[in-house]
Amino acid sequence: MVTFLQSLVFGVLVGGVYALASSGLSLIFGVMRIVNLAHGGLMVAAAFLTYTIWNSTGLDPFLAIPLVCAALFALGCLLYQGVIRFAWRGGEASIILATLALAMIIEGVLALVWGAEPHNVTPSYVNSSFRLGPIVFPAVQAIGFVIACVLLGALYLLLNGTWLGRGVRAAAANPTGATLTGVRVERVNVVTYAIGVALTGAAGAIVSVLAPFMPDSGDRWIGIGLAIVVLGGMGSLAGGLAGALLFGIAETMTTTYVSTAWATAVPFVVIIAVLLVRPQGIFGRTTRRDVMAG
Amino acid sequence: MQRRIPELSRRTFLLGSGAVLLTACSGGTTSGGGSGPLRIGASLPLTGPVADVSKPGYQGYQAWQKKINAAGGLLGRQVEFVVLDDGFDQNTVVANYNRLISQDRVDLLLGTFSSFLNLPASTIAERHGMLYIEPSGGAAEIFERGLKRLFFAQPGTTKDVPDRFVDYITALPPGDRPRTAAYSTQNDPSADVPVQIFQQKFEALGIRTVHSTNYPADTANFDAMAATIAQAAPDLVVHGAVTADGVGMIRSFQKVGFSPKFLFQTKSPSDPLTFPDGIGKGNTEGIFTTAAWHPKAKTPGNAEFVEAYKAQFNEEPTEDAASSYTATQVLEAGVKAVGKIDQDAIAQWLHANSVPTVSGTLAWDERGVPKASMLLVQWQKGQIEVVAPSEAATTQNVVRPKPGWA
Repeated sequence: MVTFLQSLVFGVLVGGVYALASSGLSLIFGVMRIVNLAHGGLMVAAAFLTYTIWNSTGLDPFLAIPLVCAALFALGCLLYQGVIRFAWRGGEASIILATLALAMIIEGVLALVWGAEPHNVTPSYVNSSFRLGPIVFPAVQAIGFVIACVLLGALYLLLNGTWLGRGVRAAAANPTGATLTGVRVERVNVVTYAIGVALTGAAGAIVSVLAPFMPDSGDRWIGIGLAIVVLGGMGSLAGGLAGALLFGIAETMTTTYVSTAWATAVPFVVIIAVLLVRPQGIFGRTTRRDVMAG
Repeated sequence: MQRRIPELSRRTFLLGSGAVLLTACSGGTTSGGGSGPLRIGASLPLTGPVADVSKPGYQGYQAWQKKINAAGGLLGRQVEFVVLDDGFDQNTVVANYNRLISQDRVDLLLGTFSSFLNLPASTIAERHGMLYIEPSGGAAEIFERGLKRLFFAQPGTTKDVPDRFVDYITALPPGDRPRTAAYSTQNDPSADVPVQIFQQKFEALGIRTVHSTNYPADTANFDAMAATIAQAAPDLVVHGAVTADGVGMIRSFQKVGFSPKFLFQTKSPSDPLTFPDGIGKGNTEGIFTTAAWHPKAKTPGNAEFVEAYKAQFNEEPTEDAASSYTATQVLEAGVKAVGKIDQDAIAQWLHANSVPTVSGTLAWDERGVPKASMLLVQWQKGQIEVVAPSEAATTQNVVRPKPGWA
């Protein structure tokens, strides 16, 4: 029973971080229908930025999250204005190629600036834990989980409690209709993309403390992110959270009860199983395409 | 609109065929002396998951290039490197070595990094009759294909990794030996082969296996794995680590509060820069690994290599840098002995002779497998020390049992 609970705790904690890591991807896809393949690269860029802030100023990596988010928000605006909006005009294939090219460029720049060797962000408490009875809670995982939940809650409030959020949701549901009601869809798209990148930045800052990272570490995160977005229901925030928790738990339970050799494969098997039952994902909705505009 | 395909004239066909034949014939094993620079080609994974290993590896080549050119070059010709990036991709490494041989027409080749890349790259070299000295890639299967011009520039292959540590454990009084062991390894021929041998040998010694598992190369979260091993509470952990996974596993051990009495990891702890950074310098104490080279080893030219490397790159040389440098020393010895660029003659000479290098004096069997063995090293007081064999030891002290985490 202890083993089961311990695996469950590990799964939930890592699942929370997975949820934040995939939220930016989900938001951008949900609103703009863009599969942002630069997602993993941007996340690792945020990890390297966190490393530099922590290493040069001594600022705690979790406290550096607002700085990293601000920098990534600005980078998101630049990328949208400089690349995404042009590529978007070329259709889905164009945007996929453009974001893939961005991912490659980001990886190359990271290697040039920081080098190809593994980097670690190791504050004094990095490997400490606290216990609840026999169950271990690694400190950085627990802090990362709490911050991920807070940021996801803030995103939920932003989308559901503000005019900007209503604009974002309107643009996602029906861009043409949103334009007719006065929503400036182009501006919403810039902000949405930048918020998505900023959330990715927050996840990158957390991930930098959890494990060593290298310029090519983004490859793993784009795989996990896409899987969770598909599992949760394309563009659904709540579905993404549920999908991420399911993914994290499946990963750790497989490690504990099946085999570590299958730990990275079984979550994808779970995804296939879920999609066989619910092709639209856990929280995804089926919509008649003929009534969708734009 | 359908385009008309021009007919191939007899003249064009003959010219083309002739060109192809000439190209094929010129890929032979001997090239003239020449007066221009002597060009050495290599493809390296300068980007991708083992780029951290490749960078010091390339610097090892460059350190030798600087030294040999300052001494007048090789065969009186200045040495130039033609290095291509393969991004740790097998298709690219094959294309790169084909290009180096057929298009760039380099005089000599040097190997790349990892068994994963050296496996196909060495096949390309052999197919073109080129000598192939590899600084890395010790997986046993590389040497079981009957290649005649392949040489491994380290003292031992992955099969030799367990020898010294098994000898050390065997030599302990029975009451001091570990009673139980856990084995965990990345799915990589440089890690899983030695870990399997470790398990066989330790089980034969009566050490009971309480956990054994392997994991994919893209594993980054080791918490659940560490918790499972901690519950089995082994005295000894043998971990087949390749790069950052070594650090990841130890950090997870610390999180779950588990510290084994003996900890052996392959590869990862031999990096004097990133390993202590990753787990904390104080936590390195007592961790064992094997090494092909040590900065304090009293091997031919080692002290000079270390000093020159630090001066050139402003950092300590790693084992990978030393292995690259060793490969160039082997190449240099063969070329100088033969006196010309004759790939087969150099290969024959290397099969028949030994070469003093910074990694020790190397000699090879007919497969290109070195006849020496690796060093057993242990982290002590923040430094990597050689503890076996005794003639190469940099300390007589062995830390046992491994202290708990700092």
